[in-house]
Amino acid sequence: MVAASLSNKAIGLPVRRVDGVAKVTGRTVYAGDVDLPGMIYGRCLRSPYPSARIVSIDTRRAAALPGVRAVLTGADVPDVRYGRMCKDVPILTKDVVRFVGDKLAAVAADSIETAEAALELIDVQYEELPAVFSAEDAVRPSAPIIHSETVEVFPNAAAGIHGELRMYPPIPNVISQLKVQHGDAASAFAGAYKIFEHRFAVPSIHQGYIEPHTCLVSIGADGVVDLWVANKGPHIARAHMAAATGIAEDRIRFNPVAIGGDFGGKGSLMDTLLCYCLARAAGRPVKMVMTSFEELTAANPRHSASVTLRTGVDRDARLLAIEARVIFNAGAYAGLVPVPTLHGGYAEVAGAYRVPNCAFEVLRVYTNTVPCGHMRAPGAPQVTFAVESHIDMIAHGMVLDPLEMRRRNAIAEGDLTPLGEKRRLLRCRETIDAGARAFGWDKPKPADIGRGISIFQHPPGNFGRSTVALTMGVDGRITIQVGSPDTGTGFHTIAAQLVAEHFGASVEEVDVVQGDTLVSGFEFGSSGQRLTTTIGQAIAAAADKMKQDLTALAAERLNCAPSDIQMGEDGSFAAAGATIDRRTLMGWAAARGKAPLSSQGENKPVPSDRTSFVAHFAEVAIDRETGQVRLRRIVTAHDIGTIVNPITHQGQIEGGLIQAVGQAMSERIALKDGAVITAHLGDYKLPTVMDIPELETVLLPGGGGAAPFSTTAIGEMSNVAVPAAITNAVFDAVGVRLVELPISAEKVLEGLSDGAGAA
Amino acid sequence: MRTVKLTINGKPVIREIEDNRLLVEFLREDQKLTGTKESCGVGVCGACTVLLDGKPISSCLTLAVHADGGAITTIEGIAEGDRLHPLQEAFLAHGGLQCGICTPGQILAAKALLEANPHPTKAEIQHWMMGNLCRCTGYYKIVESIAVAAGAN
Repeated sequence: MVAASLSNKAIGLPVRRVDGVAKVTGRTVYAGDVDLPGMIYGRCLRSPYPSARIVSIDTRRAAALPGVRAVLTGADVPDVRYGRMCKDVPILTKDVVRFVGDKLAAVAADSIETAEAALELIDVQYEELPAVFSAEDAVRPSAPIIHSETVEVFPNAAAGIHGELRMYPPIPNVISQLKVQHGDAASAFAGAYKIFEHRFAVPSIHQGYIEPHTCLVSIGADGVVDLWVANKGPHIARAHMAAATGIAEDRIRFNPVAIGGDFGGKGSLMDTLLCYCLARAAGRPVKMVMTSFEELTAANPRHSASVTLRTGVDRDARLLAIEARVIFNAGAYAGLVPVPTLHGGYAEVAGAYRVPNCAFEVLRVYTNTVPCGHMRAPGAPQVTFAVESHIDMIAHGMVLDPLEMRRRNAIAEGDLTPLGEKRRLLRCRETIDAGARAFGWDKPKPADIGRGISIFQHPPGNFGRSTVALTMGVDGRITIQVGSPDTGTGFHTIAAQLVAEHFGASVEEVDVVQGDTLVSGFEFGSSGQRLTTTIGQAIAAAADKMKQDLTALAAERLNCAPSDIQMGEDGSFAAAGATIDRRTLMGWAAARGKAPLSSQGENKPVPSDRTSFVAHFAEVAIDRETGQVRLRRIVTAHDIGTIVNPITHQGQIEGGLIQAVGQAMSERIALKDGAVITAHLGDYKLPTVMDIPELETVLLPGGGGAAPFSTTAIGEMSNVAVPAAITNAVFDAVGVRLVELPISAEKVLEGLSDGAGAA
Repeated sequence: MRTVKLTINGKPVIREIEDNRLLVEFLREDQKLTGTKESCGVGVCGACTVLLDGKPISSCLTLAVHADGGAITTIEGIAEGDRLHPLQEAFLAHGGLQCGICTPGQILAAKALLEANPHPTKAEIQHWMMGNLCRCTGYYKIVESIAVAAGAN
């Protein structure tokens, strides 16, 4: 029998990205780089009102402009609703507009300038309607109803959800209401020594990918629709496109392109259906690229949230019960996310703690604001900011070191998670302790310097189908075909390393090919820190099959039974003193018509019994005169499995961490009368290289992941909990508690002048 | 329209260019040099950075006619055949890129830095590079890559 080898020829090595040379030389092709003969450009007209009835649209002057090849309104496109879970997004809205930026007409023209000039010539008469912008206001009985029609929901909405889920319950503008209960919270509160209640608010932020949403659609004479789209999951995108247009899936080809950053934001079709309608109407390939203004005002940013937490503790500050009310503001449409409610919005409410009694209510609510989407660990950053601030506030209320508060309540071996799931290898305290040592938590600190901690636990994603195809050529080289792009995480490189490891090959002997959606097997795509796990399982399955074929060939070559063959760590095959390497064996097989070899493999999604922990430590300096907060230092400690590639692993840690620094320190989609006013990258402040703190990473190997070669996941671990470590540090420095992100000098100064920091 | 003479990656180019044509459009659409990226379009993100006479500029804010008589360097022009520029090597070896969309601009900005200041401190690297946004890496490995490339100078 053939054993899985672990020769460390490939896994654990800091190998260069397989897509790296193309990227540093400018040869990588992103959707915007594709240029087709006859290609023209699409632009769309967006609503200036947050809520209005469209009285009339006159497109005659636009259509008459030379160079304009198609003008469409809601009346000209299929009357369908798109959605990844809730089908509520029209291709172009017809009767009403629901947010500032809602698309109601579109033009395809020979140049972008002509298309934009044509948009200016479209005459729209609106009648303004009442609008509602905050989620709290939207659920009041008097609130205007944003979607009066029934919204179709995919039938599997409740699959995998803990608790009682109601879609579109009889509460104004509520998309979903989830109630989760464990134990008996009411009784636990009755017996609590102290009860703490706090409310937190987290604003919407943009994913910040540098490549804007881009699509190019070309309809072939044979009826095949070719697409080049900045989308992280082409197979799912194809299914949604087929559902919305009625075109058979095998007539839709999403061509492979690189993705210029995703972070959860590139999973929806965005303008793709509209671009298809324009291409159909114009009889030409049409390209649409969202401007930076459109990205910041009308794409699919992270949901803003308000989170109210109520917690009862005993005399020793042990958590007895948590009640939570989480309200996510979804904006004007629900269809841009693939779930009924945000997973992190309930899964992280009790954080990494042992809480025997829980009662959560999570609402997702329509408002007349920019529709929201997924971003890195959807729902988790909002809720974790609240939880990790709240735990700190309880620690202070109980006169207990915030670190000890966390150690005392962290889940440990034998505990169930707050959702009642059983996990093994729970190394929360070990992670906290390792980080605290590196940080110097106990060391004395100067005045106006603050130190804060936050923790987080999250399992690797083990859901969604991954399929791969392996081919071994007559020269022994191996090709793996995958069905989704590398969004930047290094997934293609990880795939090459995993393949190489199975065959005792070097990474240089493996080629990674991203197939289009007609030739590649189904791939769910980058999501929920799943790919290393799921692609790892698919690769293991395909490699096992191929190794059986290789073993049979080796047995034939070495004149023995397959059961006598041993596969060496170097990928050679041996029996009774004779050895043959892979390349020679394949050459021998090719001469007999038995090579190349191919195999396919698929993952088996099963709930993971593993989770991972992270502890972040932040140090800030506060200028009491201005309120300015300087983030001096972060120590980030991670409970990890096998590292496949230390470069990409560390890259996930650093990149996720600095995104969280942005959420904490500077980023906010600000609204005025429902319209986004942070509509320029000069106003919407992404972190620059000047904003990065001194960073130390502490890794605790041996976490024993659930996936082949004991890998686990890293992509969301570095990101979610960081903001609370920073605000906790601000409190530690000057006694000012920030319950709304982002941190600002004004808020700190206001807190100081209120006398919070006087003591 | 006016006639513009310039070099792009060392090759002479003479073209009739419309007065309002942006350099980024001229490079990407007319010259098919799509290694130069356009993102924000307002000179903030740095993805469109190219070198004009060795100095980094935002090609999304520069009219193509302004490059008349100048020498443009794009990401396609800094390797010598298959031999990568030391900055390209360093970005590869030290994880200075992930999705890659900002990478051409980062590398060209860094090239201008190392020409102005061959041995920059970490603080000097950060100060010079603040006009080039990256959302993937958190910048640490970009700074490290540039420092390594400077060490190889």
